[in-house]
Amino acid sequence: MSAEQQVEELIRGPQYARAQTDKEALLAPLLCGLCRDVALRCPPYARFLERLGRDAASWRTMLDIPPLPAAMFKRFLLSAVPPEQVVRQLQSSATTGQQPSRIVVDKTTAFRQSRALVSILKEHIGPQRRPLLVLDAPQSVAEGESLTARGAAVRGLQNFAAETVFAMQPSASGDLEPDWGQVQDFQARHAQRPVLVFGFTFVVWTRLVVEAQRRGLRFALPGAILLHSGGWKRLTAEAVSKQEFTRQAALVLGCRPEAILDFYGMVEQVGTVFVDCEAGNKHAPAFADVLLRRPGSLEPAQIGESGLIEVLSALPTSFPGQAILTEDEGLLVGVDDCLCGRKGRYFRFLRRVEQTEPRGCGDTFGQGNKREAHL
Amino acid sequence: MSVLRITPNGSQQAGESLQPLLAALRGQRASLAQVPINRLLALCDDFSRRLLRDDRTRGLEGIAFLSAWLGSRNLQQFLEFNLNGDLRYLDGFVLCGNRYLAARPQGLVAMWLPGNVPTLPIFALVPTLLAKNVCLVKVASADAPGLDRLLAVLEESEAGGLCGRDLLATTAVVWFDYHDRRLNEEMSLAADAKVIWGGEAAVRAIIALPRQEHCVEIVFGPKYSIGVISRGRAQAAEGLDILIADFVRDVAAFEQRTCSSPQTIFLERNQRYPLQQVGQMFAQCLARLPQKLALDAYTTVQILNARAQWALDDSREVIASTDGANWTVCMDRQVSLKEAVQSRTVFLTEVQSWQEVIGLLSPRVQTVGMAFADPAEAIAFAEAATGAGVARCVRPGLMNNYESPWDGKLLVSQLVRWVTLKP
Repeated sequence: MSAEQQVEELIRGPQYARAQTDKEALLAPLLCGLCRDVALRCPPYARFLERLGRDAASWRTMLDIPPLPAAMFKRFLLSAVPPEQVVRQLQSSATTGQQPSRIVVDKTTAFRQSRALVSILKEHIGPQRRPLLVLDAPQSVAEGESLTARGAAVRGLQNFAAETVFAMQPSASGDLEPDWGQVQDFQARHAQRPVLVFGFTFVVWTRLVVEAQRRGLRFALPGAILLHSGGWKRLTAEAVSKQEFTRQAALVLGCRPEAILDFYGMVEQVGTVFVDCEAGNKHAPAFADVLLRRPGSLEPAQIGESGLIEVLSALPTSFPGQAILTEDEGLLVGVDDCLCGRKGRYFRFLRRVEQTEPRGCGDTFGQGNKREAHL
Repeated sequence: MSVLRITPNGSQQAGESLQPLLAALRGQRASLAQVPINRLLALCDDFSRRLLRDDRTRGLEGIAFLSAWLGSRNLQQFLEFNLNGDLRYLDGFVLCGNRYLAARPQGLVAMWLPGNVPTLPIFALVPTLLAKNVCLVKVASADAPGLDRLLAVLEESEAGGLCGRDLLATTAVVWFDYHDRRLNEEMSLAADAKVIWGGEAAVRAIIALPRQEHCVEIVFGPKYSIGVISRGRAQAAEGLDILIADFVRDVAAFEQRTCSSPQTIFLERNQRYPLQQVGQMFAQCLARLPQKLALDAYTTVQILNARAQWALDDSREVIASTDGANWTVCMDRQVSLKEAVQSRTVFLTEVQSWQEVIGLLSPRVQTVGMAFADPAEAIAFAEAATGAGVARCVRPGLMNNYESPWDGKLLVSQLVRWVTLKP
């Protein structure tokens, strides 16, 4: 079976059925081969592997693949396909003054990302299409060559959507404003049905939950599943815990707290998402895996230890996304024995990596406020 | 929010206000002012010997240098250099030309310290005490590593009837949350002199605190340091590997976290050693260093980002340890000061001439580890570098040796009030 066929089969099949050992035996050689193939078509990545990766021909396990830091997609446009094969460019939501990550997507990758998201979500929310309420503005998925991670997620979810309703609109200041009329209309038409609600975590909190509570609004969507992702750093800064978020969101939407599902994903790995299971853990789908690496040594963390999250995925063909090291820390909870019944390695997201060690009087730039063009 | 006092017996709660501590310190001013300077030096000398003998302190990072620095001969020279050549000014009026001069304490010195160098509190405290100031020191971390042990050994030191315990009564080392504006203001308003060590954010915040009109502010702010290897030195008969070993010693000390640690090292292009080969030599030397202590996630990410950025770029090269994020040598020819990653991450940049480096220098660049074969060329470089704002041009291997002047300042000279008598 060719690599392409293997990947297709992994995307189509059950996502959490394989024990970790079997999964690694299948996925490791596939990923190693995919990396080598991408390196042939992406000279910067080839240089990266040559300089930091030891002998690629000697790789045997996923640990042998040198992970590419996610930050490199902010710095370099890493493409393994010629420009005419790029169907879109995905961009992260950059903060002011920061360069966003840019990911080039060809037809194969786009198709796989979309199918992969469907396969994953089917195993969490079931296969049936349902009305989708997007807690974002329509502009987030506007047609064009560039798309944010949020937009890509919405497009992926529209594969589940019987209809899509956008609950926000951009205000004059560029912020998002809830369109309460749309939400109430959505409720009126679909209150007794299973529905899907999606939003960026920080947007859900600040623009829906807080604003609804300020107005004394409560909705009745008992069949709703809320999928949300990203923005935890800002919520942590506002002292909003995951439990509090879940409780308040369920109150406002009128749904079960168990139906509030956080998922971990990133623009550098669109399609590869890690959804909270019933036990509150995140599982890697069949075509992907996760490693947690100890800071310093980069050795794999043991069960119960935290480490830097590395996401491995067989999906991308147009960019070197087979092994991405994030700037997030996670806790390795277990392998193959989650209470939810799903197999494989499973983890919990802990935090974004932040500077904690004192830097003191060492000036990182040597030029005060003038930022050197570096990282 | 409360105050923690760090004592020889560990950390103790010290209430919600600094006022009781400040009052106690002010009560010690008169008696400290009467202690002869030679007795203070003798006490420091005893302290220096004990540091190397005592099990509690002899394993602390940087202790050998601290001990040597505290020796009475060194401190005497240090004081003489700071005090117009005569440390008797600290004990009273000394005839100087046609008048008398004395160096009186400023009074109560308030000091804010960063957490990157474990022995820094002692380097900061001792000059202040030798100038006979009582001192309130705020450390950056509630568990400043080893500080209680250093204070314990100081407490047990004695010489000429003066005990370390008596000296410690003139000092309070505290910690409180740096967000606590009220406590920071209390500290600032009580001070006759403020000494501020830290990064940009800390310095700006502390300078902005209200203070008394006469209060002197002494700032050791954010700094960056570099190395320069001239063509002549690279091509010299004397081994380049020895020079590189000296630089690596500077890199390894305090895991490159200090203001005097070299971050970018500039190499003049030469006939004998291409950039890649010099990089390899640095790599071999770094590989011989003892294993680092546990590394935090943030620094690990910064190291891996730097490695990847250099590896992806076809105009750059990188050599990295294969045992995790241990050490890294990043090489290029882009003439710039690279963002410091620290933790054994060396940026090696080849230049056509050291003249290209001068344009990068400013008062933000503290120390240049300079390696020149030609003394005249070395002087020319130092003239240009110090003219641009650099404070120190020293041999590699000596970059982290705390000395006077530091950051262009004679610290003790600023910790005293020069008074005159002309009867």
